[in-house]
Formats: sequence, structure tokens, C-alpha cells
Amino acid sequence: MTQQQLSEDPTEIKPIKPRETTPLTSAERKAVARDADSSRSVSEHSRAHPLDQAPHSRRWLKSLSVRRVSAVYLWVAFLILFSIITPSTFLTATTFRLVFSQGVVTCLLALAFLIPLAAGVYDLSIGAVMSLSLAISVYLQIHSGLAPGLGAVVAVGASACIGWMNGLIVVRLRVNSFIATLGTSQVLLAVVLLISNNQQLIGSFPNSWSNIGNGDFLKVPIVVWVLLAIAVLLWYVFEFTRIGRYLFATGGNPDAARLSGVKTERTIWSAFVASGAVAGLAGIVYSMQTGLFSADTGPGYLFPAIAAVFLGASQLSQRPNVWGTLIAYFALAFGIQGLVLSASSASVWSQPLFQGVSLIVAVALASRPAVRKLREARGPKGQETS
Amino acid sequence: MSDVDPVQVQPPKSPVLRIRDLRKTFPGTRALDRIDFDLDRGEVHALVGQNGSGKSTLIKVLAGYHRPDPGAVIELAGRRIEIQDTAASRAAGLRFVHQDLGLVETLNTVENLALGRGLRTRFAGRIDWKAERRDAQQRMNALGYDCDVRRPVSQLAAAERTGIAIARALDHWEDARILVVDEPTASLPRHEVRTLFEALDRVRSQGLGVIYVSHRLDEVFTIADRVTVLRDGRRVGTFPTSQLDENRLVTLIAGSETMRPSHARPYAGEPGIVLDVRGLRGLVVDNVDLVARRGEVLGIAGLTGSGREEALPLIFGAASRGGSVSVEGAPLGASVEAAMNAGMGFVPANRHTDGSITTLSVRENCTLTDLKSLSGRALRLQRSTERSEVCEWINTLDVRPPKPDALFATLSGGNQQKIVLAKWLRRNPRVLLLDEPTQGVDVQAKATIHALARDVADRGSAVVIASSDDAELCGTCDRIIVLRDGRIAGEATGPAMTLEQIARLQLAAA
Repeated sequence: MTQQQLSEDPTEIKPIKPRETTPLTSAERKAVARDADSSRSVSEHSRAHPLDQAPHSRRWLKSLSVRRVSAVYLWVAFLILFSIITPSTFLTATTFRLVFSQGVVTCLLALAFLIPLAAGVYDLSIGAVMSLSLAISVYLQIHSGLAPGLGAVVAVGASACIGWMNGLIVVRLRVNSFIATLGTSQVLLAVVLLISNNQQLIGSFPNSWSNIGNGDFLKVPIVVWVLLAIAVLLWYVFEFTRIGRYLFATGGNPDAARLSGVKTERTIWSAFVASGAVAGLAGIVYSMQTGLFSADTGPGYLFPAIAAVFLGASQLSQRPNVWGTLIAYFALAFGIQGLVLSASSASVWSQPLFQGVSLIVAVALASRPAVRKLREARGPKGQETS
Repeated sequence: MSDVDPVQVQPPKSPVLRIRDLRKTFPGTRALDRIDFDLDRGEVHALVGQNGSGKSTLIKVLAGYHRPDPGAVIELAGRRIEIQDTAASRAAGLRFVHQDLGLVETLNTVENLALGRGLRTRFAGRIDWKAERRDAQQRMNALGYDCDVRRPVSQLAAAERTGIAIARALDHWEDARILVVDEPTASLPRHEVRTLFEALDRVRSQGLGVIYVSHRLDEVFTIADRVTVLRDGRRVGTFPTSQLDENRLVTLIAGSETMRPSHARPYAGEPGIVLDVRGLRGLVVDNVDLVARRGEVLGIAGLTGSGREEALPLIFGAASRGGSVSVEGAPLGASVEAAMNAGMGFVPANRHTDGSITTLSVRENCTLTDLKSLSGRALRLQRSTERSEVCEWINTLDVRPPKPDALFATLSGGNQQKIVLAKWLRRNPRVLLLDEPTQGVDVQAKATIHALARDVADRGSAVVIASSDDAELCGTCDRIIVLRDGRIAGEATGPAMTLEQIARLQLAAA
């Protein structure tokens, strides 16, 4: 604000409704919008600086910077590396089909973890929920004449109910989400063991069911289309609707969000329900792919899913996001597959190694841009005296 | 505060710190430009200026966080020194109390004083608590505090906590030469400020030089011997406080004659009651009735603990309350939703914890209060409408930098507060509640915020401001209600709205 403006009688400032003030000229509007775009770059100063306004082409390049899409570069690096090491087996349609269709269950679980994480709460029960959903659908298949489609609806509905229970425990009983869902997951494990009597259940699903799990549509596995559909839906909700805004606001600062009129409790509760339903769907997809149930199926997927979400949160918009999660997962999956193909013993240890290392590296990387941003904004003039 | 005896300064004044030609350049900006600064033994030297004027940079240079540009001369007691890093700064006898005091809330005074120094131990590593306690008690007493050193710090008064931070900064008293206190009173109620000043007087009587950074100008006149004004990285001048008055000082800081919003015109007394509060009860607030009329700016004053901090959250429904609140005759339930539906807006006292979501962008913060109006088909948010609306707010409120997609956390305090205001202004509130609206905000943003409050009222709404800054209330409000012990102690309007009158009602010796 210039001093001249200030020296005016304060009552003459009439800025209350911007629409009532003199409209901006189109040139001014463009200038502001340009500032807006250039601020997406990580390097910004707290003062508007003419140099900040990079030309259009450079901004486009910035969106490809290593920091924003490092997982894509990693992915490409793996593809090149392993196609050199094992050219005959790695760069084949079989490999791609295998990695993508095997990844669907983990990716669905990752998305299930992503929804409550956006709202600032953890859902560690997703693996157990998936297990429950799988158990229910296989059990119904064996013990009732219910069509598998209906069984799936029941299973997903039950999963959503578990999500609702999680919400109840976290929102109403005010138990920390980490502890609450850890507890639920153990209870669910008990339920699953009870259902299965601690034995492997083999469902006799009709061929049409396993065809969905293993068949193709337009040369791409059907389950991958399912994953894509869920991903697009979530992406739309996160980025283009007010529900997404409410989720991130609640995740950022629940108190401030509540005081701004966001119904934070309802938001968190709904996030748990959605998370449960998506985790349940992961169980259904698994039943389509294998038709088998054993009590240790679900929990094993928990860690890779969480690793993908956190690694994905360091990508693109630098907060938990759908495409970053999927990219992160598949980048790692191709690396693991490459190792498996190039060293036969690697299949045992490569997965936990990759996932453990990548989780730590991802979170370490993800915390850097935010710190740097703050430092750059506050550093030069040390303006934050207050 | 004038009853604190002026301290006899002995030995005679000699500069303990002498800075000449200090420059600090950051890529693209010159944060400090040819700064000269002197600090005498036993002097309290105030450092004032708006956010971004270079105060913090100067202090960070002294603390060893920033290296100055070559050519700067820093002399300590006549000896030239280089402050390479924080250790060098400490070794040179510079001590700092930062605004965020750096105390561990769950530990007690004894433990906090020992942080970073270690505790005395006896046989087998057993801590000698008795000696520690005695020592802590002595050190607090030396500063004029008499608090229970065994109570967790979180249970102590704000001034006592500041005292602990000072005591810790002066750990090795004999080595300390200069104490730098950065905005120590930002969160202190006024009667506790006096305790702090007594402590600072004791520090100065030990022959230490004190550099005192503050936004509160009345304090500068109370405690400081001299004041140095910085503006845009340059030294405007150094003046004995006896040769200045507050108006002149504001002018020096801002560089223009009429910074403070003059109280435009007296409230005409329009009839319509917008906000009607009856029998409001909370934890401290006890049976408070108040009304705010159309076009009125109502102030709520009171010492910390009087219920002033609680009043606005209660009215807004952010905390559960007793009593009734109605807007334009319609009673409301005690919920944020009901308050917002009735056209209430609330700017909370703590911008960081309650007022904003620092991990979101300016745009997302600004529009969070009303996303429904931006939602189109299939719940889709209309991004371009949102963006242009936020851009216009940024323009009208002169938010720097003018970038709607900047991360909220990267803005300075004043600009953050403008955005927090904007998010309510865009809803055209019928009742706007402002809790400590200008805390930690620079002078210019302060003026903007006050002008905005006035403006909202002029458009027929009611504005209620609760503030610990009485000068702010007297300068902005039409009427001031003073709370004491949860009840209304009195009311002041028109010419009766003086600092003295407000203070009298707050303390009320009757």
C-alpha cells in the first residue's frame, strides 16, 4: 500500500465488495493472473518481483522439474535400466500386464488410505477391511446361493459400515485415528478368523466373475479400468469440488476449518466411510483375480499402499494426491519387477526393501520444498517479526 | 508504570555496542543499508519499524544467524568483533529473548532454566533438586518475580513465562553484556507488562544494554531511553524518547503524517439493533448483555482473564454457551453453522491456530467460508470465478505479494490477516466479530484493518472488536464495553472513550 493511499481519509476506502469497486482493466487482470501462475513455482519471494514472472515456456518446463515429478523420472530410469539388463523379459507386454493388473489391489488400498489422509486422519484398518470384504464375498459364495455381484455389494456395504464405525470412534469418542483404526484392524482380524475358522477359503466363483478379474477390455485388463474409474472419480472430487476443498481444509487445520464453517466432523466421518468402501472394493477385485481367501491376505498390502501415498504426496501438487500416488506405486512396482526378473532371489527381498527405502526417502524429500518455501519467503528481509 | 524508580545508571554511559555501516544484502533485496547503531551500558534502546523494515534482520545479524556484508563494523565495548555464528554471538555476551519464548510448557521453572545448560548432579547422576530449586528461585527473585518454581510453566502467567525466558537468557549473568528482547509483550496483558518492565529495569541496573523491539509504541515511551526507527532497511534516526511523542514516532515509522485512522465521525445512533446478546455465560463470562446497532463499531475491552478473550467465540458459537444470541431479532443456536447462516463473521484472535489453514493457498483460504456460491454443475467449483474474485480482493486490500496461489504461510502477518478478513468480507456479514484483529500486524496493515472495520459498519452492519490494545479500541470504536471478572464493568462512548477511562474501568478500584 502506498503512503498516499493511507493518507486518505480511511472512510473513503470502500473495498467491501470487490465487485462494486472499479473493475480492473483487462491488462491489470492479466497481470494479476500472471502473478498467480508464476507463484506456483517453488522459488518465490515474498515481494512481487518482475523476475518472478517467467515466460510461458519456462513455466511449462517447471512443471516437469525433477522435484515435482521425480517418480516419473524414476519410473523411466527403471524401464531403461532393466530393459538393458534383461532385454528379453523386461520390456514385454507380459511384464506390463502383470505389473499393472497385480498393482490394482494395492493401488485401490492406497486410494482408500488417501481419502482420510487428506482430511488429516489415518486409516490403518484398510488392509483388514479388504480382508473382511474378501472373506465375506468368498464366504457368501460358498455358503449361500447369492450371485457374486450381490455378494460383492454386501461386502462393500459391510466395509463402508466399518468405515462408519471408525468415524464414530474417531469423531464421537475422540480417539486418535492412528490408535482407533489400529484397534479396529485387530478386531476385524478376529472377525475374519471367525468367519474362516482360520482356514483358507476357496470360492467357486463362476467363470464370468474371474473373467472380470483376469480379462481385458481394449487390450487393457478390466481391473485396471476399474482402478482408473475410481482414480478419476476421486481426482475429480479432490480437485474440482468443494468436498475436496473441505477435506484438505480439515486436514490442514481442523479448528480453523470449523471456524470457517466447514463441517469438519462430518467431513472426517464421510472420509472414513469412503475409505472403507474403496478398501472393500479392493477385496472384491482380489476375489475376482484369485477367488481365494486366507486370513493373512489383507494386512500385507497395508505397507505398500501407505508407501505409495506418502511417496505420491511428494509429487505434483506436493500434497496427498491421486495421480502422484498411482505414479509412485507403479514406478516402484516396475523397479521391483525388474529386480525380480534380473535376479531370481530378488523376488523375496526386493519388495520390502524398495518400499521401506522409498517411504523414508519420499517423506524426507516431501518435507523439503515446504521448508524451503518458508525459508525463502521469510529469509530475505526477515519480515516475520510478529 | 511511572512509579518504577528511574534507575541510577552507574558507571557513566559508554557505548557497549557500536555498529557502523552495517549492510546486509540478500539476492534481489538490500535488507539493511548503512545501519549505525549505538547502545550504552544501562540503556534500554528501543528498535521500532514496520514488518520488513529490517529489525529482524538486524537482530539476526547480532545473533549470528546472518553474516553482514563485508565492511560492517561491530564493536563491543570498544573492541571490534566478528559475529560468525550463534556461538560467537553468545561468547561475545549477547543474549536473546525471542517472541516465541522457547519454553517447554510441561516442565517447571527449574527444569526450563536448566535447559541447554544441564542440571547439577550428585552421586550416581542424581539431580540435586534442592540446590537447583534454590538457584532458580534466586534467579527469578533477582528479576523481581516471585513465583512457584515447581509449577509447570503452562500454569504460570504470561509475564512470568517471559521472566523465565529472560532469566534463562541471562544464565551466566557476569558474561552477559547485551540483552535483546524481541516483542516480549505481544501476548501480555497490560498489568503483566509492568512486571516485565520491572524485570528489565533490574537488568539495566546491572549495567547491561537492552535492545527492545516492539510494535507497541506506548511501551517504548515507558521503558526506553532512546529509540531507533528503521524504515525499508534504513535508519530513519535515533531519538531520545523524551524528545518525541507517540504521534511523531508513528510518523517516523510510517513516513507519512496521518497514519493512524482519525476517528472519523461520532456514531449517529441509528436505531436498528443487529446483534442482541442476553445473559451470555461461558467459563469466565457471566451474564453479559450487550447490543450492537446498525452502523456501530462496538469495542470490548478488558484485562486478560476478564472474559474479553472468551466473549466473541461464545457469541459466534465456537464454544458452548449459556444465554441467548439473536441477529436482527432471530435467536440463534449455539453453533458456527447457525451463526454463519445468520450472517455472522468471526476473525479469531489466533490467526495461525484458528484463523487460517497455512498449508493451503491464499485463494483456498479466502474462499473457504463460502464455496457453495462457487459450485456449479456436478459440484464443480468454478475456478476462474474463484480466481478473479480472489484477485480482486487481493487488489482492494493490497495484499503483498499479489499471488492468489501463494502458500498462505509465506505471507507476512499483516497480509495474512487481510486475507482472513477478506474471507468474511466476501460474505457481506451483518455482524462482524473481530478478536484481536491487529495482533502482530504492522502499522499500515493495522490502519487498513481499522478502516475496513469502519467501512463494514458504514454499510449498515454491526462490528464488534475485542482487543487488549485499548488505544486501538479508542481509535476505532463508537462505544466500548469494559469487562471485568466476566461481567460488564462499564461502558464508554464519545469523549469518555479515553485510555484513562478504559483503564480505570478495567482496574476499577471501587
